[in-house]
Amino acid sequence: MLQIRELSAWYGEAQVLREVTLDVPAGEVVTLVGRNGAGKTTLLRCVMGLHRHQRGYVGYLGGDLGGTPAHRRAAAGIGWVPDDRGIYASLTVEENLTMPRAGGENAWPLSRVYEAFPVLKERRRFPGTRLSGGEQQMLALARVLRTGARLLLCDEPTEGLSPLLVGQIGSILRAVKEHGVTVLLIEQNLHFATTVADRHYLIAEGRVVDSLDNSEVKRREHELLAYLGM
Amino acid sequence: MANFVQQCFNGLVSGAFLALLALGLSVIFGMLGVVNFAHGAFYMLGAFGAYVLLTNAGVNFWLALAAVPVALAVFGCLLERAFIHRLAALDPLYNFLLTFGIALVLQDLVKREYGVTSRPYPPPAELNHPIDLGLFNYPGYQVFVLAASAAACAAVWYLLTRTRVGVVVRAATERPELTRALGINVGAWVTPVFGFGAGLAGLAGVLAAPMRAVNPLMGADLIITVFAVVVIGGLGSIVGSVVAGFGIGVATALCNLYVPALSQTLVFVFMAAVLLWRPAGLFGREEARV
Amino acid sequence: MRRTHIAALAVPLTVSLALTACGGGPTSAGGKLSGNKIVLAVLNDQSGVYADVSGKNSVEAVKMAVEDFKAKYGAKAVTKDIEVVSADHQNKPDVANSKAQELYDRQGADAIFDVPTSSAALAVATVAAQKKKLYFNITGATTDLTGKSCNKYTYHYAYDSYMLAHGTGTTVTEQGGKNWYIVYPDYAFGQDMQKQFGTAITAAGGSVAAKDPTPFPNDNFSTFLLKAPNLNPKPDVLGAMQAGGDLINLVKQYNEFKLRDKGIKLSVGLMFITDIHSLGPDAFAGTDFTDAWYWNMDQRARAWADKFYQRTHVRPSFANAANYSAAMQYLEAVQRAGTDASDAVTKQLDGHSFDDVFARNAKIRGEDHRVIHDVYLAEVKPSSEVKEDWDYEKILKTIPADQAFRPVADSAAAGCHLG
Repeated sequence: MLQIRELSAWYGEAQVLREVTLDVPAGEVVTLVGRNGAGKTTLLRCVMGLHRHQRGYVGYLGGDLGGTPAHRRAAAGIGWVPDDRGIYASLTVEENLTMPRAGGENAWPLSRVYEAFPVLKERRRFPGTRLSGGEQQMLALARVLRTGARLLLCDEPTEGLSPLLVGQIGSILRAVKEHGVTVLLIEQNLHFATTVADRHYLIAEGRVVDSLDNSEVKRREHELLAYLGM
Repeated sequence: MANFVQQCFNGLVSGAFLALLALGLSVIFGMLGVVNFAHGAFYMLGAFGAYVLLTNAGVNFWLALAAVPVALAVFGCLLERAFIHRLAALDPLYNFLLTFGIALVLQDLVKREYGVTSRPYPPPAELNHPIDLGLFNYPGYQVFVLAASAAACAAVWYLLTRTRVGVVVRAATERPELTRALGINVGAWVTPVFGFGAGLAGLAGVLAAPMRAVNPLMGADLIITVFAVVVIGGLGSIVGSVVAGFGIGVATALCNLYVPALSQTLVFVFMAAVLLWRPAGLFGREEARV
Repeated sequence: MRRTHIAALAVPLTVSLALTACGGGPTSAGGKLSGNKIVLAVLNDQSGVYADVSGKNSVEAVKMAVEDFKAKYGAKAVTKDIEVVSADHQNKPDVANSKAQELYDRQGADAIFDVPTSSAALAVATVAAQKKKLYFNITGATTDLTGKSCNKYTYHYAYDSYMLAHGTGTTVTEQGGKNWYIVYPDYAFGQDMQKQFGTAITAAGGSVAAKDPTPFPNDNFSTFLLKAPNLNPKPDVLGAMQAGGDLINLVKQYNEFKLRDKGIKLSVGLMFITDIHSLGPDAFAGTDFTDAWYWNMDQRARAWADKFYQRTHVRPSFANAANYSAAMQYLEAVQRAGTDASDAVTKQLDGHSFDDVFARNAKIRGEDHRVIHDVYLAEVKPSSEVKEDWDYEKILKTIPADQAFRPVADSAAAGCHLG
C-alpha cells in the first residue's frame, strides 16, 4: 500500500528524517513509536505531501507520489488526522464533515457517519471546536472516513484522552481496519498500540531503528518504555 | 443623547469603509498568508475608476458602483495569476514585499497621470440632501454608504456561511494546509478569492469618491488603520474584521468628541493591547503551525 | 503567531508606504561654483502632497526667470552660464537637510528656492546659515523663518501664517463673521495657524467660540461638522486650517452637512488654486481666503500666466509665480553686485524695493528678511461666474504690503535681530 524508501526531510538547515525506509501493507495497522521530536509527524506530512523540503521515494498503490500535490493525494484516498485533530472552528460539525470532497466506494455517506457517531449528529449545528476532545477526535476520524480514504494517517489520536475514550478510539480503528482501510498511526501509548496495530516501527532521531511485531513489543515493554522516557 | 447617537453614527460611516477593506484583506490573508499591501491601492483605484468613468465617459455613480468593483476583481485575478501566484511556494514574506512594490507602482502610475491633488467627484443628486433619521438629520449620501456597506457585509456573510463556496473558503482561510490535505485544491481558489477581495476594496473606493478626497495617496493613508483593524479583529477572521471595522470607527468618532488628542493613536493603542492580551486578535484563533 | 507578527509588522511598514514619495534625484550634473556660472536650485516636493502646488512647475518658473533675465540683459548679463537644478525633498526635514547640503556643496548651487513644509523649510535655513549660501523660502508657512530661526542668508518670500491669519481672520471678522469655530490639524503648522487666527480674530473684535484639533491625516470630519451648529454661541464661521487631502475631505463633508445653509460660512486658512481646481469651484463657492497672488488678477499677471500656460498647460499657483519672482530678484541682485558672492548679494537685496509680476509694492526687509508685498483677500466664485478653466477667484480687497505682514518689531520680539 505505502512504500517509503530512503526518505529524508529538513526544516531549514536541520535534518529531521534520515533515509527512512518502511512499508505499510494493505489492510494493516502500523504504528510509528518514538519520542517527541523523533520525526514521526514530519513523516506523515511527507506522505500527505505537505512537507516541501524532502528527498526520497514515497510510493502509494504502486505509484510514485513525488510531486503530487496534497489535494490529489487526498483524492487518491489518503486521509490525514493531524495531531491537533484539525477541527475547523469556523465550521459547524456538519460542515466539518461535508467540507472535504468525498468519492470512491469506501466513502461513508453522512447517514452512516451519524449512525456510527450519534453524538456528532446530536451536535451537528455546533461549531466544530465546541466539542470535547474525544468528540473532536471522533469528528476528525469520521471526516476522513466520509471522504472514502483507503489509507489513514493518524497522528496520536489518543493523546490527552481518558481511558474510556481511548477504548472508543481503539474500537473505531479496529472497525475501520475491518472495512479494509490501511492505517499508519503515531502512538506513544504502547499498550494501546498493541491492541490495534499489527506492526510497529521504532523511530529515533529521524531514523527507523527497529521494526517489531506485537509479541516483541510485549516482551520488550519495559525496555521500550524506558526508551520512550515513560 | 442625540449628540452621542450622532457621533456613533459618524463612527459607523467611517467604520463602513474600514469593515469593507478589512474584510477583503482578511479573506486574502487567511488564504494566502499574505498581508496584501496593495489593498489600499485597490481602494484608490476604485475611487479613480469612478472618477475616470464619470469624466471621460459620463458614466454615473450608480453604474460605476456596479462596474468598477467587477473591473477591480478582474484586475485582482490577473495580478494574482501574473505575479502573486508565482511566489506562493516561497515564504509569504516574498509576496508581502511584492504587494508592497505593486502598491507603489500603482500609486505612482496614477500620480503620473493625474497628479497628487484631489479630483472632484460629486455625490449622486438623488442622495445630495439630508435624511431625517428621527433624532437628527444626516447627509443622505452618508446614510447610503452605511446601508450599502452593511448590505455588502451581509451579502458576504451570507455567501460565506450559507453556501458550499463559503464552507470551503472559511476552511481554506482558517487552515489552508489542512484543507489541501482534505482534498481541496486551495491554490485554485486563491485567484478568485484575491479578485473578490480586490473587488470589495474597489467597492469601498467607489463609495468613498463622493465624500472623500480622491487622490493617489488616499489608499496609503487609510490602509494603515485597516491593517490595525485586521490585527484587532483577528487575522483571517471574517466576523472579526467586520466587527473590529465598525467598532474602531465608532470608538474613534467618540474619541474625537471627548479626547481628540488620542483619536489618532486610539486604533494602535487597541492593537497593542489586543496583541498583548490576545495575540491572535479578538476573534482569531491560535494556530499550531508546524 | 508568526502570521500575527507579520501583519503587525505591516503597520509601521505601511506608514512608510504612505510617506514614501518616489525620489527623483537632481536633474542635472553639478558644476563648480565660479564667477562665470550661477546655479539656481529648486528644492521641493516633486511627488507628494505639494507636488501639484509647486513641484516641477516651479522648476519651470525658475527656468522662465533665467530666460527672461538673459533676454533683458543680453550681452551685459553678469554671465550667460546660468543653470537650474532641482531635487525632491519629499517633505521630510532630514531629506531636505541632506539634499540642501548636496545642492550647495556638490552641485555648486548659489541659491536654493521654494522648500515647502515648515519643518523642512527650517532645516534648510540651518544649512544655508552654515554654508553661507542664499536661500529663498517660498512655500513654507512658518513665521519662525523671520523669527527665532532667521539668519543672514535666508529670505522668506511669498506668504506666512501671520499673513494668512491676519488677512483672512481680520477681514472676515470685520465683515461680520464674529464667532469662529476653528478646526486645525494637530501638528506644528495647524497649531501655529490656530494661534495666529485667534489673535487676529480677537483683535478685530470677534471671538473664537471653540477650537478643536483634528487627527492627521483624517478622512472623517463629521464629529466636528455636527458639533458646529450646536455650539453656544453658534459660530458664524468655520475656520479650517487643514491642507491637501484633509482639506478636500473636510470641504466635501462640510457641503454634505449643508453647514452653509445653517448659517456657518467656511473660511480656509491656507488654500491654493489647485485645491479649488480639484473639487471644482462650487464646492468652495463663497469661501474667503487670503491669496499671495492670483494669475487673473490683472493684465500683467495674466500675460505671465499665459506664457506659463504655454509651457505647462496649467495656470500658475502663487507658489509658481513667487518662485519666478524670487529667482528674478536674485539674478538682478547678482547683476547689480557683479558677483555671486553671498555677502555681496545680500547687500544688494536688503532694503531693496521693487515691483514685479508677482510682488507688488514689494520690499525686502533687511531687519528680518521678510519680503513684503501686497496680498489679496479672495473669494471663490460659483461655477456660474467661471468664464474659463482655472477662473476661480474674485479679488475682494487688496491688503497693502505694510499691513499684510508681521511688523518688524514683532519679528525682533520673536528673536530675529539681523540689524
